[in-house]
Formats: sequence, structure tokens, C-alpha cells
Amino acid sequence: MANRTDPAAKSIRGTNPQNLVEKIVRSKIYQNTYWKEQCFGLTAETLVDKAMELDHIGGTHGGTRRPTPFICLILKMLQIQPEKDIVVEFIKNDDYKYVRVLGAFYLRLTGTDIDVYRYLEPLYNDYRKLRMQSADGKFVLTHVDEVIDELLTKDYACDIAMPRVKKRWTLESHGILEPRKSVLEDDFEEEEEKEENEQMDGVENGGNDEKDYHHGRSPTRERDRDRRPDSHRYRDRDYDRDYDRDRGRGRDRDRDRDRDRDRDRDRYRLRDEKDYGRERDRDRDREREGRDRERRGRDRGGGRRRSPSRSRSRSRDRKRRRSPSPRKNEAEETKKKEKKTSEKKEKKDDGTDHPDPEIAEANRIRASLGLKPLK
Amino acid sequence: MLEVVLNDRLGKKVRVKCNEDDTIGDLKKLVAAQTGTKAEKIRIQKWYTIYKDHITLADYEIHDGMGLELYYN
Repeated sequence: MANRTDPAAKSIRGTNPQNLVEKIVRSKIYQNTYWKEQCFGLTAETLVDKAMELDHIGGTHGGTRRPTPFICLILKMLQIQPEKDIVVEFIKNDDYKYVRVLGAFYLRLTGTDIDVYRYLEPLYNDYRKLRMQSADGKFVLTHVDEVIDELLTKDYACDIAMPRVKKRWTLESHGILEPRKSVLEDDFEEEEEKEENEQMDGVENGGNDEKDYHHGRSPTRERDRDRRPDSHRYRDRDYDRDYDRDRGRGRDRDRDRDRDRDRDRDRYRLRDEKDYGRERDRDRDREREGRDRERRGRDRGGGRRRSPSRSRSRSRDRKRRRSPSPRKNEAEETKKKEKKTSEKKEKKDDGTDHPDPEIAEANRIRASLGLKPLK
Repeated sequence: MLEVVLNDRLGKKVRVKCNEDDTIGDLKKLVAAQTGTKAEKIRIQKWYTIYKDHITLADYEIHDGMGLELYYN
């Protein structure tokens, strides 16, 4: 029977390897002429020839969901289960990019987490263009590294559901994997050095004025990241001793440092894949921000200041250390209120506060999907 | 605003509120939000006519309370 899996093949994720492709898509592939004619009796060697003839990737397209030769070959590979060496050869070969993507896709479906990260991440450096057929039948341009990124981050590609792999930082924290070293890291370091040189000139001109600190980019980068929390704590203790007079300067310093951190944070996002707790911290901090600011306005002193800065989390806790003066507080609060009213106005346009709860609910779903409200 | 009923005859019957100028693709997204399937996996038919994603409900002359068939890709 042409559609049976090789009896000697291992079961993947506890099931027949062909079951990785969903039933409906699988039936569509079995009925496809490409499968019936070309993929009959393929072995690992002849599979390579077919793979070299590929000229586009994609899942199913059109109203009747016709499969592409790409996923027909994927199903064939799942059926015959080539050795890992062969798959790695597919990935390592440089000449045929579609063979490479085929191997990468198969490895993503069947390989262990470590193998997935180890063999797919080098492919991030491949910038070649690929032709992809989208669900409506049109061809779009994409690149090898974009496809690899989709494979590693999303859980659905080319109409096949990807099995779950552990997050990279879990494996790093267990020491199984090393932290990811990007090829562009050298370029970033060069940029940093250039800016540091510029910044040094700026500091010489402006003396000890900390306002210059935020004009240039802060030199604190990943390397200095660990040093920064300590320098903070040290400085705060100075402030606590000189409460009233130095509060003016302290405020400016806080503001500048917060701004720097915002900018740095954006850069971190590009490279830092470790800080996954950020999202949660951010939400929690925003709720606390409002409350803390009011409290701090009344409470004049380092008591409040000590606790947030001492926290070791590198997250947005630092943003909470705003200026404690009442006048500044009011200005910020009015700004916040304006934002809230403008948000409320937007909600009214969305229709999510419609008197009828059903319609409000429907409008909320529509807004989340990006559709206009009901008429 | 109109309400369309989609039935897949296997137990899933869904009532969806939508506008006349929504496309079938938007309707599929709303159905996906309510049923939990992915929008790309849904196929909306009427007898043998498969409804295309880019055409609006008004053009297909779908009125309030009309029943459509829900199939899967």
C-alpha cells in the first residue's frame, strides 16, 4: 500500500509519523497527482532528486486546498523516515536552498529540541530569497531566515502544526545549550565602540554635567549590565543622606537614567532572548506605578526609594523611580488622565461600550480581530 | 447588521453577528473566534458553492438569519 508508513519506522511523538500532518491535509495530499505519480516508491536517494526540482514552498492553496509539492515531499519523508545524517546533509548543503528548507522543516517536525536549535540557528545567516505560495494561490517573496524564524517561533507553518519545543532560555538555564551568539554581534560591538568614542568627547566638553549623559547613547551595554544595578544602589544611598537639597539634582538624574534605560531596553529586545519575565513585570509595574507615585509624593524620603532600587530584577522596576515632588506628580497625573479620556473616546468609536451587552461583546471581538464595529 | 447561522451538522452550530460589508474572510475570523478552529481551516459553503474569501456578504446576497454550511479544509 503506497500510503502506509514503513513498518520499520519509529513512532514520532508517540504516534505514526504521518499523523504529524492533519487528517484533512493528509487526505488532500494522498489524492494529489504529484503524490501519486512522482512520490510513488521514493527512497532517500531519489527523494533528493525530487527535492532539487522544487521551486517554491507553501502549504495548501485555493478553494479546494491543493497541496504543494513541498508538503507532498514532507509527507513522503515522514513516511520513509530518512536517517538523521541524511537530514543534516540536506540542511548543510549550500547549493540548493529548497532542499535546505525541506531538511530544516523535517528536522523541526521530528528532531529533539537540542537538535532543532543546534541545526536551525545557523540557517539564520542564510539571506537567500524564496518563493512561497500563500493560501490564496499567489506567490510571495520571503527569505530563508524568515522561514527559519517562523519555524522556531510560531507553532503553525505551511498548514502543518509544529510540535512544541522547549524555549531556548530553558535549555540555556539547564546548561544544555549555550547562549545564542549572533553573527551580527560583531557589528553591534563596532557600533558601540564608535558611540563610546563620541560620548567620551561629549563628556570632556560638558564636564560633569549629567544632562549630557542622555544626549549621547549610554555606554552601558550587555557587558556593563551587571555592573549597573550596583552603581545604582551606591548612588541612592548618597541621595538618602542628603534629602532636601540634592533632591533637585537627584530628580534630573533619575529622569535621565530612565530615559537611557528606555533606549537601552529597545536594544536589548533585539538581542536579549533571556528576559522572558519582562512582559509580566511590565504589567505589574504599570499597575503599581500609579499607586506608588501618589504615595511617594507624600512620603518624602529615601524609605520608598530604597526598596525599588534595591530590587535585583532588571525589569521595568527601575522605571517606577520617578520624581517625588508634588508639582511634578500633578503634571504627570494630568497627562495620564488625558490619555485615559482619549482612550475612552477611542473605545466609543469601537462600539465596545454599547448598551446591549451582546453587541458590546461582539464589538470587542471584532476590535481584537481588526474589524470595524457592527452597524 | 445581520446575524448568520453556521452549522456543520456534526454538533457545531454558531450564530455570528456581522455587517453586510464584511467579507467572507472576516466572517471566517469571527467564526474561528467563536468555535476555536483556525480561520484558514474553515470553509463556508452553500450546497456546492464554496464561498470565496474576498467577496462581501452583500455581494453573495446573504441576509439576516440565513443558514450556511460549515466545512473544514
